[in-house]
Amino acid sequence: MRLKQGSFLWYLYLDKIYCLLSVRNVKALAEYFHILDVHGKNTLNDVLFYHFLHHVTDLKKAQINIVFDMLDWNAMGEIGFEQFYMLVCMLLAHQNHLEGQFMYRHSRPVFDLLDLKGDLRIGAKNFGMYRFLFNIHKQELKDLFHDFDVTGDNLLNYQEFKLYTIIYIDKLQRRQKTEEKEKGDRKRRQNEKSLLKKKMSHQV
Amino acid sequence: MEEKPSKVSLKSSDRHDSDKESMHSDIRDLWTRTTLSQAQLNMPLSEVCEGFDAEGRSISKTRGWYSPGSRSLDEGDKASHKPEEPDEHALVELELHRGSSMEINLGEKDTASQIEAEKSSSMSSLNIAKHMPHRAYWAEQQSRLPLPLMELMENEALEILTKALRSYQLGIGRDHFLTKELQRYIEGLKKRRSKRLYVN
Repeated sequence: MRLKQGSFLWYLYLDKIYCLLSVRNVKALAEYFHILDVHGKNTLNDVLFYHFLHHVTDLKKAQINIVFDMLDWNAMGEIGFEQFYMLVCMLLAHQNHLEGQFMYRHSRPVFDLLDLKGDLRIGAKNFGMYRFLFNIHKQELKDLFHDFDVTGDNLLNYQEFKLYTIIYIDKLQRRQKTEEKEKGDRKRRQNEKSLLKKKMSHQV
Repeated sequence: MEEKPSKVSLKSSDRHDSDKESMHSDIRDLWTRTTLSQAQLNMPLSEVCEGFDAEGRSISKTRGWYSPGSRSLDEGDKASHKPEEPDEHALVELELHRGSSMEINLGEKDTASQIEAEKSSSMSSLNIAKHMPHRAYWAEQQSRLPLPLMELMENEALEILTKALRSYQLGIGRDHFLTKELQRYIEGLKKRRSKRLYVN
């Protein structure tokens, strides 16, 4: 899933730690939502929502429809600014490769969104429907349920989901540290090589 | 009339702390005082509006609030606001100076010093009057979104809504009130856009 280059959302920026928009960005987003609110109800209906998401992303019609169903948590057939803001944050987190950070920082609202039946549990099927939003591969999802379904009911409760997000972030941070360390080692080796070459050339 | 600039200076210092409504009334007051200012009446328009076009955009310098590389509205806004702050500071100082000079005048009986003080105050009032429309403009800009951003949003919304209109027409028919409402809205947006382009 990619945002269309040059679209309005493409210019917005998520805070990397808290994965939220700044006040100015929210103001701009609110103005944008207001422009799209054709009927003056502070909401977007399913048609407007579909055309908006179709215009700014490369999502398919089926994916857009299930995103709408997920966000229309009141089953009103419309989504308000709160849900719109949540969606934009998810899109930007995906665009900037902050999906793990986003799920960690906002585990409760993400869990509530994925809990379609409202029974405080997420099934593998439901999570699988929305894995494109969080860039989770099929195998990763299988491993997730295998490793974190402590209760053994093939469903994730909130604690299990939270544990998954914590360990995901921990793994990500370790990976980033090792990558930085490798980069540093590579640079050091290159510097040493160049120094050796200089020494050799001087001796000659 | 003489008391108004000091009132304005007090208001300007409180402006950042006030809520949206009082901010709007402050901005309206600024624009009202600007038009009532006696010193400004004989000033040529080019001097009053130097460096700004009808939309309030700077002609000489571009507002680099965003670029495809930076992708940050915050940084862009910060950058665009930096040149405004020193101007406001200088103007506030001018007004405070004028206010204090006016207070001195009330106590003094010496006519010569009075005349001098009046001269300095009239000079500063000229300067203030010259800068008033700019101050009002910048004050308004504090609460408004940048015009390039508005343009981008409206253009994108127009494309989205035009496609939505086709879906409305196919789904609920051309005569449905929602379709007509959307059509009117799109026409309104197009008029606003063409008005802006015409002005440019």
